[in-house]
Amino acid sequence: MKRLLVLGAALALTLASAQQMQGNPNLRGEITVWSWDIAAKALEANIPGFNKLFPNVKVKVLDIGNQATYDRGLAGCAAGGGDLPDVYSIENNEAEVFWARFPNCFTDMNTLQPAASTLRNQFPAFKWTELTVGNKVFAMPWDSGPVVMFYRRDIYNQAGVNPNTIRTWDDFIAAGKKIAAATNNRVKVGVIANGQDDEWFRMLANQNSCFYFNNEASAVTVNQPGCVTALETVKKLIDAGIVMQGGWNEQIQAFKAGTVATSMFGAWYEGTIRSNAPEQSGKWGVYPMPASRPGGVRAANLGGSALAIPASSRNKEAAWAFVRYALGTTEGQVTMLKEYGLVPSLLAATRDPYVSQPQPYWGNQRIWQVVLGTLGNVPAARGTQFFQEARAIMVKTQADYVAGRFPSAKAALDAAAQQISQATGLPIAR
Amino acid sequence: MKRSATPYLFLLPYLAIFALFWAWPIIESLLLSFQNTRVYPPVWDISINWGRILGDAAFWDALRNTVLILVIQVPLMLALATGLAIGLNSQLLRAKGFFRFAFFAPVVVGAVAYSAVFRLLFNQNGAVNAALGLELNWIFDPVGAMVVIITTLTWRWTGYNAIIILAGLQSIPKDIYEAAEIDGASPWQQFWRITLPSLRPVLLFCLVLSIIGTLQLFTEPWLITNGGPGTATTTLGVYLYRQGFQNINFGYASTIAYAITLLALVFSIIQLRLFGRDQ
Repeated sequence: MKRLLVLGAALALTLASAQQMQGNPNLRGEITVWSWDIAAKALEANIPGFNKLFPNVKVKVLDIGNQATYDRGLAGCAAGGGDLPDVYSIENNEAEVFWARFPNCFTDMNTLQPAASTLRNQFPAFKWTELTVGNKVFAMPWDSGPVVMFYRRDIYNQAGVNPNTIRTWDDFIAAGKKIAAATNNRVKVGVIANGQDDEWFRMLANQNSCFYFNNEASAVTVNQPGCVTALETVKKLIDAGIVMQGGWNEQIQAFKAGTVATSMFGAWYEGTIRSNAPEQSGKWGVYPMPASRPGGVRAANLGGSALAIPASSRNKEAAWAFVRYALGTTEGQVTMLKEYGLVPSLLAATRDPYVSQPQPYWGNQRIWQVVLGTLGNVPAARGTQFFQEARAIMVKTQADYVAGRFPSAKAALDAAAQQISQATGLPIAR
Repeated sequence: MKRSATPYLFLLPYLAIFALFWAWPIIESLLLSFQNTRVYPPVWDISINWGRILGDAAFWDALRNTVLILVIQVPLMLALATGLAIGLNSQLLRAKGFFRFAFFAPVVVGAVAYSAVFRLLFNQNGAVNAALGLELNWIFDPVGAMVVIITTLTWRWTGYNAIIILAGLQSIPKDIYEAAEIDGASPWQQFWRITLPSLRPVLLFCLVLSIIGTLQLFTEPWLITNGGPGTATTTLGVYLYRQGFQNINFGYASTIAYAITLLALVFSIIQLRLFGRDQ
């Protein structure tokens, strides 16, 4: 893993010169971009820089909402490619279902100039897995979600917990107990969406190099040892009474009310904390996620998106120029990081001076160094076209296991693997 | 020959639209249910979806939840609605128009808006817990989530059914009650012997509507609990949507849709056998 990081950094350095894009005033026309929320705003923030290089391309970003982007994209593809924009935002986990069901709906980016394959080494390998089918590249990696722990410095201090000493999940549980004791059990050390989502399971499984499916998307692997450890840890955390159970909104309410001292999420959660609790500026910090065993991997990925170009686009050249500017240049990526906290997956952007700057909200910690430092250690995982089906089964399995309806995590995951296999037609890996 | 063709010519625009937007989708989805739609292009595979559905634990969960709502929420709501209708029909009640509107109003409110409100109310820090002095995590508890869904549905549809039943009440001739009173029947006897039997067709109508509505139930569980926790509030409608529009498996979604249709058919036959013989 270390070697991978060094290799990545070295590549980033050698390719840094390639991060400057050539402008072209002859390229003209108007392109439409579909995206959502802060992602749309981040793309919009890139238009002035893009227009310096391509003054005659007009970019129109439409914020049509996350669900609507997915639904309308699907409807458009099902209708044979009608009513789609020139640039389409797509979440990595949801991406494969498009390539599998509608392989002719999007442009193979290797057919564009320059071919997407020439940009391959500028991103970590795991970002490409879900965007590539054989030799075809259907979308370009955008942001990623390296998982970190966002924690309240003041509460940890009050309880006498030093985050630097939290190296394993057992350390984390011990810290949670200390925090509970110091606050009369008022403050929990995390929020787990048991029964509504399986994010914690996915983050922990990814950390242990396990996921629903293998990276070839040819077999169900959810009952392999890494996933068993992950599920056991989730139950251990809940059984210890140190976490609360709640979903996305409950978690925001909890950190605003100061009743939760840690949020574990993809680093894009930075913007969520910063914008929801501006009054807590200076009270927060970041540390890497604990490992399953001493010396184990302390990195995982949750979420992240990509940009695709529908095959029906009338101005693919301009669309491709915009995609390459926004995602393939340090300038484009750092703009989005600065303004809206979107974590670049472009390796060269990790070398930008901004990344090493202390962040006032985070108690002047250099949080992006911590976040991006984990990027090279993230084990690859693949959503596959069956992501949503497997996820629904896992959400229930986790809830049942936590409620004590299975004798062991292995038994629970064997049952889940059976169901996922039945639902997808994929065999269970031996 | 020519004369008999004329009416069909007039009907042609309607028949064309009917065939295009009604008949064709129904046939198309039947055909889809025999195809594997998870590969491109879809291929015929007679048993892939129908073979899956009987052994699909998630489908049985959804069916169980739907039936649970059917046997708890629907009778509860119809009983409440009948009581409410009798209250609204009472001679003693003033400002009848206002009350009738007030109880009907929930139907007018957008489903998305009131679902959001109910989710807030039943939040762990929400108004319901505050009022009851509880700390229950309703939406994250399988039983609690179902209670929330049933409460929400009852809140929304009781007034609507009450107005229909009220119309039924008003069509019962007053002289029957007068005659009963002369014969010395108590109000309770009048209710059981006159009101309820006279309301039978109206109640049957409400029951059929409610059963069909429950079989299609989607909005509330989707927006309030998202079908969770786990599959605790996943209804057939939610499961169909998941398969169709999240997993993009239109073939299996069509199979579920046909399974729901078959169920509706079975329920309708049972209802007609039980209640509708003399109608």
